[in-house]
Amino acid sequence: MFGFVGRRLVYLVPVLVAVSLLTFLIASLLPGDLAYVILGDQATPDKVAALRHDMGLDQPIWWRYASWLGHVLQGDFGRSFRTGQTVLQAVSERLPVSIELMLLAELTALAIGIPLAIACAVRSGSAFDRFVTGSAFGMLSVPAFLAAILLIYLFAVELRWLPATGYVPFGEDPVGNIRSFVLPALTLALGEWPVLMRVLRSDMIATLQEDYIAMARAKGLKPSRILLVHALKPSSLTLVTVTGINIGRLIGGTVIVESVFALPGIGRLLLGAIYTRDLIILQGVVLFVACGYVLMNFVVDMLYAVLDPRIRHGHA
Amino acid sequence: MSATVGSRGSTRIFLATGFGISLLAALALPAAPASAQKQGGSITVGLELDIPGFDPLKVGVFDTSAETAAAAIFDTMTTLNDKGEPVPKLALSWSHSDDFKTWTFKLRPGVKFQDGTPFNAQAVKENFDRQKDPANKCRCAFYIAYVHDVEAADDLTVVYHLNDPSVNQPALMSVQSSNNVVQSPTAWKTKGDDYNRNPVGTGPYVLKSWIAGDRMVLEKNPDYWDKDHVYLDRIVLKPLPDAQSRFASLQSGEVNIVWDDEADADNIEKAQKDSKLAVHTYEGSGASVYAFNTKVAPFDDVRVRQAMVMSIDRKKMSQALTNGLSRPASNPYGDGSWVKCKDDGALPFDLEKARALIKDYGKPVDFKMIVTATPRGRTVGQILQQFWKQAGANMEIEQIDQASVVPRAFMRQFQLTPWRIIDLADPDPQMYANFHTGSPVALANYSNPELDKLLEHARTTADIAARTEDYCAISRLVNHEAIWFWTFQNTYYAISSAKLKGLPKMYSGVIDVSRAWLE
Repeated sequence: MFGFVGRRLVYLVPVLVAVSLLTFLIASLLPGDLAYVILGDQATPDKVAALRHDMGLDQPIWWRYASWLGHVLQGDFGRSFRTGQTVLQAVSERLPVSIELMLLAELTALAIGIPLAIACAVRSGSAFDRFVTGSAFGMLSVPAFLAAILLIYLFAVELRWLPATGYVPFGEDPVGNIRSFVLPALTLALGEWPVLMRVLRSDMIATLQEDYIAMARAKGLKPSRILLVHALKPSSLTLVTVTGINIGRLIGGTVIVESVFALPGIGRLLLGAIYTRDLIILQGVVLFVACGYVLMNFVVDMLYAVLDPRIRHGHA
Repeated sequence: MSATVGSRGSTRIFLATGFGISLLAALALPAAPASAQKQGGSITVGLELDIPGFDPLKVGVFDTSAETAAAAIFDTMTTLNDKGEPVPKLALSWSHSDDFKTWTFKLRPGVKFQDGTPFNAQAVKENFDRQKDPANKCRCAFYIAYVHDVEAADDLTVVYHLNDPSVNQPALMSVQSSNNVVQSPTAWKTKGDDYNRNPVGTGPYVLKSWIAGDRMVLEKNPDYWDKDHVYLDRIVLKPLPDAQSRFASLQSGEVNIVWDDEADADNIEKAQKDSKLAVHTYEGSGASVYAFNTKVAPFDDVRVRQAMVMSIDRKKMSQALTNGLSRPASNPYGDGSWVKCKDDGALPFDLEKARALIKDYGKPVDFKMIVTATPRGRTVGQILQQFWKQAGANMEIEQIDQASVVPRAFMRQFQLTPWRIIDLADPDPQMYANFHTGSPVALANYSNPELDKLLEHARTTADIAARTEDYCAISRLVNHEAIWFWTFQNTYYAISSAKLKGLPKMYSGVIDVSRAWLE
């Protein structure tokens, strides 16, 4: 087991280096020199040159990357040139919001997707199955920004059940906190559940045709027990993978959803950093997101081992 | 002095980059009788942008969102009344030398910063010196370049020594920019890096808490020098970046007032019909403007420039952009300025004449126009492209990043570029910068001794009638030479619940709720 975890952990290093290098390159290739951004309408050529020198922007890119990486390895991720906040401060302020949003969104998606998948698999080909799979396709094609506005108009402006925007810290008011996350999480979940549902449905249909299921039926076990215990666990391998990957995808979704619902999460921080060319914050956030993504995949790999003993014991 | 680029929509992002100029706020003292106002209560304000902080050395200049907060936390030396005239705030009275290059301000006695330290001439001087010090490399220094130094003559007397004359100096000091708000020297010295997010001023509200990207909670300053005119107990400021959900939050009652702009015309019109909401409009001075580079073909020929200006149908353009909300501009001052011209020399919309001028020019008119790479910038470019096509000119749109517009303009690497004249209490700073020979912002590369003379006369004359005459002559000259043109005036919007009262004019587009109350 330790070897398994260790091997996976070693893979992390090259992935993170590649991600940070790519971010660095892309950020450096963005149009609009940082010196111009900072100087604004006093960007005379001599001031630009002086500032570029001060900030090390006149150094070759590989040198700047190496120097940034050197600092990161010492735990210094740098400071925003606009607010003076360190990257660690900025990220740790925003991260809990995004994590809560992603978890709630994924849980909601699972709560919608799993029961529907089981129901569809049992009656595959029926009118109910066709209706659900059809609606899933429809939902998949609704972009998050549209779903968000529709949900706001329905639940906040018309019905007034939930707030349209805003965030309440959990420690201040737990109920208010959950209320402020309902619509954003639902928005994200609406785009997620169809994927989960379809994956689980098809795996489940395959599983239900296995001999041991027929055996279980023949033994006279309750249909609910067969479905939830005997069929669900072996069918959920792909579901776990997709759920893991989706959490990574959700980070992209949070950029839009956090802006619409005005949640102070990592997505807003990222967007703001791009607009203001706050490269230090941008690089820091991307690095954290990449770490999160890679760790998530790592957790998924671990879960495989739990779900499928063959992987755990290395005869896959 | 200051200009930012692009249309209203693009200006927002432009300012978000912390890179435009400070759009400036002003506190206005309440106009209604005291009996009408109700004490207490709390409001939430929906702003557009995350506020990066308040330390000028960190953030350089404030955007309009930061200025809404600054209007509550800090005070300025003066403020503008409803007529746009400067009235006392931290300064009680002022006087000037004959050449308008020395201004002496007497300060209000007994005022304290929120940290308990006294407000005095030394504090004003320290604020100025810190921004001016070249070692601090503050982006804010650009806007005080015309001030040579500030002298603390005694505890309550401050003398400004200017490099250039400024006849309307007290009015220019009313705006809630990073240059004008007075911050506590003790606080920035003791807090260091943390000061940016823990600002201390003399203003009516004290910062209580601030969750980055979420909300800033301000509470009434019990020791405020003018506390009888401050009503709300608490003001919560929230950045709500998305225009649709910002408006939805207002409709659902979660926020009491939101910032808005013409690009959101649908919601403004919806709010105008809703009796529970009130639309606050301020028709400011200034305009969205464009500069021709008169040193390169085809704009080195006045006929081509005139033809371009005469083929713009502003009414149609306003319909297309904002359902007709945008107010066409015929001069750089606008209806919100005290400069009122009987004749501003605006060229009429006349497509036939434009075609004739181009024919007269005799060569094909092909050129590139810079637009900002935003949806709004592109739309404006496409509309102008159609107008000019009808006149027989071929314009190619060149989309560039917001951040690159200013350096391109400064280096004169353009044929036609967007720019902006912001709402300011006096036309001098921007007019002089935009049109006087040799100024870095005199983008047209145009030099005319008569124009220079008028600009110099207007900045050294106190008489309003004489100055108006100068500025109208300038407008006639610039319009006739067609070195710049103006499309739409600056209009600023806020939408609030009908119960929120006591909002002053939104000078420079800043929502100032520091003297508001709930009915």
